[in-house]
Amino acid sequence: MSYKLSKGGILTRRGFLGGSAAALGASTLSMPHIARAAGDEIRALLITGGPLYPKYWEKVVNGFTEKTGIKVKYDLLEFTPLTTKVVTLGAARSNLYDVFSTHTAQIDSFFNYFGALNEYFSEEDLKDFYKVGVDYLVNPKNGHLAAIPRNMDARTQYYRSDVYEEKGLKAAVTWEDLVEVSQKLTGDGRYGLVVPGQGDPAQRTFSDFLWQAGGDWVDESNKPSFNAAPGVEALTYYRDLIQKWKVVPPDAVSYQWNENSTQFSSGAVMDTFDWPGAFATLSNPETSRIVGKWSTAPYVRNKKSISCAISHAMALNSMSKRKDPAVEFIKYTVSPEAQLLNFNEFSNFPSRLSVAKQVVAEASGVKADWLAQLEQTISTGKEWPKLPGFSRVSTLMFSTIERALSNQQTPEDALNQAAAEALQIMTQAGAYN
Amino acid sequence: MIAILLYPLAYSFVMSFYRWDLSAPSQYFVGLGNYRDTWNSLGFQQTLRVQLIFSAITITVEVAAGMGIAILVNSKLRGLKLARTLLLVPPMIAPAVVGLNFRWLFNGQYGLANAILRYLGLPEAPWLSDPNWALVSVMIADIWQNTPLLVLLFLAGLQSLPQEPIEAAQVDGASPWGIFRYITLPLMRPILMIALMLRIIDTFRTFDVVWLMTQGGPGGATNLVTVNAYLLAFQSASFGHAAAVSYIALGLSLLFLALLYGVPWLGRKFRRVS
Repeated sequence: MSYKLSKGGILTRRGFLGGSAAALGASTLSMPHIARAAGDEIRALLITGGPLYPKYWEKVVNGFTEKTGIKVKYDLLEFTPLTTKVVTLGAARSNLYDVFSTHTAQIDSFFNYFGALNEYFSEEDLKDFYKVGVDYLVNPKNGHLAAIPRNMDARTQYYRSDVYEEKGLKAAVTWEDLVEVSQKLTGDGRYGLVVPGQGDPAQRTFSDFLWQAGGDWVDESNKPSFNAAPGVEALTYYRDLIQKWKVVPPDAVSYQWNENSTQFSSGAVMDTFDWPGAFATLSNPETSRIVGKWSTAPYVRNKKSISCAISHAMALNSMSKRKDPAVEFIKYTVSPEAQLLNFNEFSNFPSRLSVAKQVVAEASGVKADWLAQLEQTISTGKEWPKLPGFSRVSTLMFSTIERALSNQQTPEDALNQAAAEALQIMTQAGAYN
Repeated sequence: MIAILLYPLAYSFVMSFYRWDLSAPSQYFVGLGNYRDTWNSLGFQQTLRVQLIFSAITITVEVAAGMGIAILVNSKLRGLKLARTLLLVPPMIAPAVVGLNFRWLFNGQYGLANAILRYLGLPEAPWLSDPNWALVSVMIADIWQNTPLLVLLFLAGLQSLPQEPIEAAQVDGASPWGIFRYITLPLMRPILMIALMLRIIDTFRTFDVVWLMTQGGPGGATNLVTVNAYLLAFQSASFGHAAAVSYIALGLSLLFLALLYGVPWLGRKFRRVS
C-alpha cells in the first residue's frame, strides 16, 4: 500500500497525518536502539555536583576501561534530578541504564528495582565497608543488598574559630552549650547558628535531635515512636532555636543545605552542622569568605551522641542485560583506588575501613582532627528505617517538622498527627505483614 | 493523538485505582482507596484549602488588574507604547526563572523586598518563612507573571469593541464608570469568560514558581495540588496516590469551568422560563 504525500507539490492533510504517524512510529521504534549501548558497553547514570565531578568520573571511567576493556557510557545528574529520574525509570521498569548512583535516603523505594548485590560481594568483602553504610542498604524483608556504599556522609560542627577565640568561647558540646554559645554570638545582624528548616534537610536535623534525645523513629515492633517524649523534646528544641532563643536566622524555615552553607561561608553565621563536602568548599577562596577562620568540632550531644551516617552508593539495575560488566564497574567505583581519588578530589570520606584508616593516618593538623571527628560520628551514626512505606512517611515528616518550626502547630500535636498517619501508610505498604 | 494524549491520560486514570508504589513488589487494584487515602490525609485537606485560596485570589487580582491596566494602556496617553512592549516581558520569562528570581527577591536577609522596606524605615516581612506571608509571596509572583497576559487579551478585546454605543453614551453624558459598567463590561463578557477559563486551568496546574520559591512550605502553607502530586510521585514513589491527587485537581478545575459556564446559562434559562 502506498500513500501520496502531496498533491501537486502541496502537502495534503492526509499526507501530513500519515507522515507524522510514520515519523512518530519510526522515532518510537528507533529510540531504544539509540539509548542502548553496544555489546561491550554499559550505561551508567551517575551523580554530579560542582565543576570537579565530571573530571572525577572521567578519570574513574577511563581507569576502568583501561583495566577491563569495558566501555562506559554515562550521564551525569545532580542528586535531586537523579533521584527523580531513577524513580521514573524504576516505575517504567526501564533497562536504559545498567548502573545507578544512589543514596541511602530513598533506597527503600528502589528495593524492587535494584538488583541484589549479595552474590557479587562476599561477606569477607563487605567486612571492609563501614557496617552502618552497608546495613541501611539492605532490604530488611529479604536481606538483599540493594547498593554498595561509595563514600560515607556524616556531619560535623563547623565554627568560626577566629570569632570564638576573640570572645573566649569554645565549640558547643551539648544542646545547652549550643544555645548559650549561640546567644553570645547573635547580634548586629549576625547569628550564632544556622540550621535548615525545609524538606529532607529538616528531617535529617530532626532525626539527629531525636536520636540525641534518646528516641527513635520506630519502636521494637516497627511502629512509629517518633511522637514519644524524646521526639517532642527534640522538635521543641529545634523550634526553640529559631523561634524562642532566636539564635538562628528567622527565615531558616525556608533553608536547605545550600542556604545553610552560604550563610556560614559568607560570614553571616558563626556555627553550622555540615557534610564532608563543606571542608573543601570552606577551604577554597572562590567559594568561601572565611578561609583560615574556621575549625571543626564533633556534632553536639544530649542524652546520646548520635547523628546521621549515610552513604552515597552504587546500584545495579535488576533489568540490566549486562549485569556482569555492570557489576565489574560498580566494584571498580568502590575500589580502594577510586575511593582514594574521591577523597583527594572532594574530601569525601571513604566507605572502606581500610581506605579510611589510610587517609586518617596520612592527614595532619585541622584535617586530621576533622577526620577523627567524622570517624567518630560514623561509628555511632544511624539512618532512618528502611521499612515499606517510609519514603511516604518522609514526605509527611517534611511538612510536619516545618509546621512546628513555623509555629503553625505545637511539636506534640504535629508529631501525634504525623505518627497516626505514618502508621496507616506503613500498614498499607505492608510493613507489618 | 491516541499515542501521546489519550493513552497516557487513560493509563494514569487507571493507575489512580491501583496501589502503585515503587517499593511494593507488584501493583494491585484498590478501587477508590487512593482517593479515600488522599481525601483523609491531613496534608491534602490543607492542600485543597491552599489551592482554593491561591486560585480565588490570584484570578480575582489578575482579572481586575488586567482589566484596569488594559483600559489605561488603551487610552491615548503618552509613553504607553513602551508600557505595551514591557508588558510582554513577564509572560516571556520561563516560570522556573521567575521562581528563582522571586526566591532571591524575598530572601529574608539579602532580598530586595526587605532591603526596600528597611530603606523606607518599615518593618521587614518574613516573606518565605511565615506560612501566611509565603502564600502571599507565591501569589505575588504568579500575579506578576500572568497579569500582563490578561492585559494583552483584554486590550485586544477593547480595541475590537464597537465604538458607536460608547460614543452615544458619551454624547448622552454618561460617566466613565457608567460607560464601563453598562457598556464596556457586558460587551467584554466573552473575552472575560476566556480569561477566566484560561486562568482557572492555569492555577490548577501551577508548579514551577511555587516549587522553586517554597517547595510547598513552610509546613504545606503553599502546597498546591501539583506540588502535592509531585511530592507523592517523585519523593514518595507512590504513583497511585499521585495519580489520584492529579485527577482530583482535574475534576476540580472541570467543576469550576462547568460552574463558570453553567451558572450564567442556568440563570438565563430560569429567567426565560419565569
